[in-house]
Amino acid sequence: MKSWWKMFLVVGLVAGVLAACSGNSGNGGDESSGDEGGEPSGEITVWGWNVAAESMELAVDGFKEQYPDVEVKVEDIGRLDVYEKLTVGLASGGNGLPDVVMVESDRLANYYDQFPDALTNLSELGYDDHKDKFGEYKQSVTQNADGEFFAAPWDVGPTGVFYRTDIFEEAGVNPEDIKTWDDYIEAGKTIKEKTGTQMVPIDIAKDDALYRMMLNQQGAYYYDEEGNIDVTSEESKKAFEVIQQLENEELVLNNDGWNGVVSATVNGEVATVPFGVWYSGTIKDQAPDQDGQWGVFQLPAFEEGGNRAANLGGSDLVIPSSTDNQGAAYAFVEYFTTEVDPQMKALKEKGIFPSLNSAYEEEFFSQESEYFSNQQIYKLFSEEVADIPVANYTADYARAFDTMSDTQASILLDGTKIEDALQNAAEKLKSETGREVTE
Amino acid sequence: MKNVSPLKKTLLYFFLFVGVIVSVFPFYWMFVGATNPSGEIFKVPPNFFPGTHGWENFKNLNENVGIIRVMGNSLLITLTFTALAAIICTAAGYAFAKFQFKGRNQIFFMLLVAIMIPYHVTLIPLFEIFSNVGWLNTFQAVILPQAAYPFAIFLMRQNMQAIPDSLLEAARVDGAGEFHIFFRIVLPVMRPALAAVGIFLFMFQWNNFIWPLVVLQSQDMYTLPVALSSLVGMSRIDYGQVMMGTTLSTLPIMIFFLLLQKQFISGILGGSVKE
Repeated sequence: MKSWWKMFLVVGLVAGVLAACSGNSGNGGDESSGDEGGEPSGEITVWGWNVAAESMELAVDGFKEQYPDVEVKVEDIGRLDVYEKLTVGLASGGNGLPDVVMVESDRLANYYDQFPDALTNLSELGYDDHKDKFGEYKQSVTQNADGEFFAAPWDVGPTGVFYRTDIFEEAGVNPEDIKTWDDYIEAGKTIKEKTGTQMVPIDIAKDDALYRMMLNQQGAYYYDEEGNIDVTSEESKKAFEVIQQLENEELVLNNDGWNGVVSATVNGEVATVPFGVWYSGTIKDQAPDQDGQWGVFQLPAFEEGGNRAANLGGSDLVIPSSTDNQGAAYAFVEYFTTEVDPQMKALKEKGIFPSLNSAYEEEFFSQESEYFSNQQIYKLFSEEVADIPVANYTADYARAFDTMSDTQASILLDGTKIEDALQNAAEKLKSETGREVTE
Repeated sequence: MKNVSPLKKTLLYFFLFVGVIVSVFPFYWMFVGATNPSGEIFKVPPNFFPGTHGWENFKNLNENVGIIRVMGNSLLITLTFTALAAIICTAAGYAFAKFQFKGRNQIFFMLLVAIMIPYHVTLIPLFEIFSNVGWLNTFQAVILPQAAYPFAIFLMRQNMQAIPDSLLEAARVDGAGEFHIFFRIVLPVMRPALAAVGIFLFMFQWNNFIWPLVVLQSQDMYTLPVALSSLVGMSRIDYGQVMMGTTLSTLPIMIFFLLLQKQFISGILGGSVKE
């Protein structure tokens, strides 16, 4: 009998410990009570990642001045972790989801297509009033086929080529003369010859960022506006021809992963890095001693006078339908995306670039950036935003991203002919997604 | 070693030395990264010496993710889990190995099948169960689902089979109850296996990522891997903080292993019975 008592003791102890751990069991704003009709009140929980979450944190004070009865709790979660949690939550019918979630623009369609009823229709809450405050590109990614907002536009990633002013000077290359990709390749050859530095870092096997920028710049993307597979397009061929030529001239530094690209940037192994505006923050953070050695110019065009604007990255806010405090959630989303003040805080302190047009009128945008050789870099990027062509990311963005990164590797590393490689990619995407291939 | 020629000895030490460098350097580099500001890690030539930025990194990390609280969470969850799972898995393994009951082999077969189910398949149903019970964002939600860890049960069963039946029978003849036998005879004999399974369970829960990520909702409840993962954003990563976090998450595993290492070496089954 004695041993039975011991067993009970053990079980009891374990249960006790478990009960002790269960403090703070509130999940995503369960306690909040949305006031029907009246002023929003209660508590809302918001998910975001890293600097984006910190930007939302910065906006809370200003928000509370307008809505003193709403408590905002920002949870800082890893970027990919947000998606993991969001997918599980949406798949289980909205369990455990917060009131507001940040999602990258190129992933939005994926969630909207899979769970169309799980995201709040913002147009029904009046977001259409803000429609004209955003550029065409940003509108298109946050609206469904009927032109209704299912997400609120937040930041945007106008692209540019970040370059090392000292290396360009040493090679005698004037960045203002680089107007087309041909000029870019020529400049690369000169720089390589004079300084031994390579032109551009690419994570060949895993990231097709440069290709995506080039597609977007030409008004194309993985899929056309009807959602058909468009990787065999003329634009797609042209983009890979440029990338292949860069590789043939040995101007590409093949990097392993994000850390590899950052490391190459900081160590002066490359003279330029074409990326979204957000990369300016990365350079400043990781190479604080290269003050005044960096500059920016817009992506070179495919032909003289062609479009030099494109987008890479950017994110938006959605409100899961499962929220029990829609009023407060919408109030926060509206404040955070359409008021100038939170945009400027995010830009000045976290380097996140707003898509709200009225923000660009702020004096800050005409300032010269000391780090970037006294260039007006924010002005350059803000003027680019209106010209960013629309891109149809679709729900199968991730598949195309993987396939095209593989395609990039097969073209650059295995020497597959561009036409063949693109044809293969289109076939593969067709069998994976069931979409048609454009002629 | 007495008769080994000096040449052989030199070679031996040379390779051992290289081996030690290869396995220790990453840890050293982690430590260097943890004590330097973020930018230093990418410098060429690299900085090979620990810096003085460690405290700064730690402070930032604590401000950012509340690392002290998070480490406490991880320790509490992992230790509770390890103790609980070790008891359950040992008892289950013992039952499978030493008791005859109806359907034993069928149940064991199902257990083996359970090992092969990918974790993502059970993720959403499990999440729904815990959310219906209202246990989202609690520690028990992290601890309970894997407390009967199939692989650990399997491991314990295989080890238990080595216990001679005559030993158990002798105990029964002497009038010991079943629980007495389990706690007084089986467990002591099983110490090395228990230590191995314990380390295994500890490592599993300490590194467990997807489930705690999904089920824990607020930052003050996070475990270490979940909190560290939140440091990696879109384009800006403070590598000093990341390295400091990794260092802190590696230390307990090292300590736990060193504590139980003796069990591996000293525990011997022989001697408990003479046949």
